Amino acid sequence: MKACMGKILRVDLEKRSFEEEIIPEETWLGYLGGVGLAASLLYDAIPAGADPLGPDNVLCFSSGLLTGTGAVMAGRWMVACKSPLTGGWGDANCGGNLSPAIKQCGWDAILFRGIASEPLVFIADAKGPGLEAAGELWGMDAIATEEAILSRHAGGKLPAVAAIGPAAERLSLISGISNDLGRYAARSGVGAVMGSKRLKALVLKGNRPIPCADPAAVKALSKAYSDKVRRQNLPGLMKGRFLPVLGKIMGGKQVLPLDGIMSAGIMKRWGTIYNNLAGAVNGDSPMRNWGGSVAEFGARHYGKLDPDRIVKRETRKYHCYSCVIGCGGVVDVSDIMPGISHSHKPEYETACTFGALCMNDDLETIYRCNEICNRSGLDTISAGGTMAFAIECFENGILTKADTGGLELRWGDGKAMVALLELMAARKGLGDLLADGVKKAAERIGRGSERYAMHAGGQEPGMHDARLDPMMGVSFSADPTPGRHTISASVYYNVSHVWEGVPWAPKSTKIYPKGEEYEATEREADKSVAGTCLKQVLDAAGGCLFAVATGTQHWRIFDYLDAATGVKRSREDYMDAARRIQTLRQLFNVKQGLSPRDSIMPQRMAGEPPLETGPLAGIRVPIKAMVSNYWRRFGWDPETGVPLPETLAAYGLPPRPAFQAAKLEVE
Amino acid sequence: MASKKVPSFEYALCMACGSCLPACPFGCLSLSKQGLDRYRTAFPRLDRPESCTGCALCAKACPVDCIGLVAASDLVERKKENS
Ligand code: SF4
Ligand code: SF4
Ligand code: SF4
Repeated sequence: MKACMGKILRVDLEKRSFEEEIIPEETWLGYLGGVGLAASLLYDAIPAGADPLGPDNVLCFSSGLLTGTGAVMAGRWMVACKSPLTGGWGDANCGGNLSPAIKQCGWDAILFRGIASEPLVFIADAKGPGLEAAGELWGMDAIATEEAILSRHAGGKLPAVAAIGPAAERLSLISGISNDLGRYAARSGVGAVMGSKRLKALVLKGNRPIPCADPAAVKALSKAYSDKVRRQNLPGLMKGRFLPVLGKIMGGKQVLPLDGIMSAGIMKRWGTIYNNLAGAVNGDSPMRNWGGSVAEFGARHYGKLDPDRIVKRETRKYHCYSCVIGCGGVVDVSDIMPGISHSHKPEYETACTFGALCMNDDLETIYRCNEICNRSGLDTISAGGTMAFAIECFENGILTKADTGGLELRWGDGKAMVALLELMAARKGLGDLLADGVKKAAERIGRGSERYAMHAGGQEPGMHDARLDPMMGVSFSADPTPGRHTISASVYYNVSHVWEGVPWAPKSTKIYPKGEEYEATEREADKSVAGTCLKQVLDAAGGCLFAVATGTQHWRIFDYLDAATGVKRSREDYMDAARRIQTLRQLFNVKQGLSPRDSIMPQRMAGEPPLETGPLAGIRVPIKAMVSNYWRRFGWDPETGVPLPETLAAYGLPPRPAFQAAKLEVE
Repeated sequence: MASKKVPSFEYALCMACGSCLPACPFGCLSLSKQGLDRYRTAFPRLDRPESCTGCALCAKACPVDCIGLVAASDLVERKKENS
C-alpha cells in the first residue's frame, strides 16, 4: 500500500539501540496509520500495570497516512502512550511541522521505550538515527530549546523539532510536547512521559520521498478544496463584536443545517478565538469552574475578549504544514512581556480556561498564561482547569493563605492567576501540589475538595459545555481518552456529512428541535458513534478537525485515502477500521485495569444540580444513559463499557502482529 | 549555458500551506513574503537562490501546482490578486 513508508523505528533509550521493523500490509488495512498504527503497536508493547513514568511505557510518535501525499489539511502528528493522568490510553495530536518529517526520515512512527541514563536528544538525518546528550538544552523552555536547535542548522534545511519544557522535565502530569515553537500535543500528560524518559527533543531532518499512489488525483482533490477555501472571506464589516449573534444562532432552540465550508472564513479571520464571544452567549464556554453562567460574566466581561483585539496583535498568520486555512497566528506581546521572541496566538481553549472558567476578563493575563504554559510545557486546558479548581477551593475556605503562600485566589484576579501558574510551572509551593492536575490535587488536599475537581477519568475537560451539546459530554465521558473536546459533538457532526456513503450514520440535513439532542435515543448514540469513528479515520490520516468541520463533502477524506493509498475502499470499510481502532483503544484501558464507568464526567458538568441562570439554566443531561447507549452501539457491554467477545472477534482483536524485523539501513 | 532554473510562485493561487518548505532538500525556501493579502499571511519565497539546484521537488510537492520553474534571470515576484 502507498502513502505509508511501511516501516517504524523502535528506540531503546536505556540500551541506546535502534531497531527498524516493517509493518505488514494487514496492519495498514486494519488500522490505517496515525492513531490506528499507534494503537496496533502499543497494545502489545505496553504491559498491563506498566508505570506510566517508568521504563516500560512506550512513547510513540506517528505520522498521518495522508501526510506528505499532496493532501491538504493533513499534516498532524500523533503521540501516544499510557497516560499518567488517566492510567489508560493516552494520546495527543498537533499540527506544526513534525508529521512530514517523521516520514521523510523513512518511518511512519518512532517509538521510545526505557529511561535514558542522562538527558538525551534523538536526531535522525541522512546518517540515520542517533542519540546525543541534551547538555545545556535540559532545563531550557520548550521554545528556546527549539530555537537553539534550529540555530545549529542555519544555512541549510531546517529540521522539525519536538521538545519538552521544564514542566515536563519535572514530570508535571499536565504537560505536553511542543513543536514549531509552541504548537502543542498537549493532552493526556504526554510531556511527563517524555520527561520521565529524559528525552528532551526529537530533531528530524530527512529527505526521503513520501509515496502516493495517484498524485494527480490527490492534487485534484486539493485544488478543488483550496478553491473553496480561497473564496471564503468574511466581509470587512463583519466585526468580532457581532459574534454573539452567531453564538445565539448556534445555540438556538432549532438546529439549522449549515454548510460547514463557511467556517473556513471564520477560521481564516480569527481562528478558534471566534468562540470567545459566540461561546459566551450560548453557554458553550464553561464559566466559574463549570458552575457559573453569562449572568455573572456578561457582555461587560466577555466583550473584553473580543477576538479582533487579539488578531490586531498578529504579526503573521500561522498555518500548520499543508494547511490551506491557517487558523493560527504569531502575535506580538513584547509590550506585555518584554523580550519574548515568539508567541503563538492563544487558542479559544486557552482564552476560555484562563478567561471565563476563572472569571477573568483581562486579556493580558491570558497572554501571560498562554506564554507561561507554552514555554514551560503545561497544557493550557489542564492548567486553567486546575487553577479554577484552586480558586473555588480558596473561595470556599478549603484552601487558605497558609496553603497558597499568601496568594488571595479570587475569581478573576489576573495577578494571582499568573503568580499561581508560575508556581505550577516551577513546581513550587502550592504549585507543586497542583502541577499534576485536578484529580491528584483533590486527592492531596482532601477536605471535600473533590466536589470542585472537574475531570473525567483524571483528564480536565476541554472548554465546551455538554449542557449545550450533550454529545460532547458523551465524548468527555466515554472516549478512551476522556475529557477530550475534539472527538465528536453535534456541532461537528451536523456539518460533517459523514452519513454520505455510510448508511448506518444518521443523516442530519433538516432543521430539528435542539431538545432531541438531550434524549438518550439510538439515533443520538449512532451520531456519537459515527462522529467518533470519523475522528479515528481523521487521526489515522493526520487530518485537522477544522477540515472535517468544513464538511467531508468538501474536504473529501475518504477519496483522498483511496487516491493516496491506491486501495479503493468503501466508506463503510474505513468506518469499520475506525471501530477497530476505537475498540482497541478501549481494550487498552481494560487491559490496564481501568473501569470505563469511572471516567464519566462529574455531575455538575451534566447539570446536577442544574445551573440557575444563563442559557443553560435548568438543563440536565442524562449522561449515564447516553454513555450506556454509546457503548452498546459500539458492541461494548452497555453496563461496563468492556468490549464484548463477539465484537473483538469481528475485528480480530487483540491484534497479533507478525512483524518482520528489517535490518537498519544507514544511508 | 542555459540559465539556471529556480521556483517562481503564482501567489494568486498559493495557499501558504508550507508544503513546499520541507520538500526542498536544501532549505532554500522560507515563509517570509508578506503584504500580499489582508490576513498578514506569510507566503513562501526563494530565500537562498544560491543553493537552489532547480530540482523542482518543491513544485512537485505543491498541492495546488502554483510553483513554476523559471530561468533565474526571468524571476519576478508576482502579486497576489485575490482577497
Ligand atoms: S486549521 Fe488551524 S489547527 Fe488546523 S491545520 Fe490549519 S492552522 Fe493547524
Ligand atoms: S527547485 Fe529544488 S532546490 Fe530549488 S527551491 Fe525547489 S526544491 Fe529547493
Ligand atoms: S506548497 Fe504551494 S500552495 Fe503551499 S505554500 Fe508552497 S507554493 Fe504555496
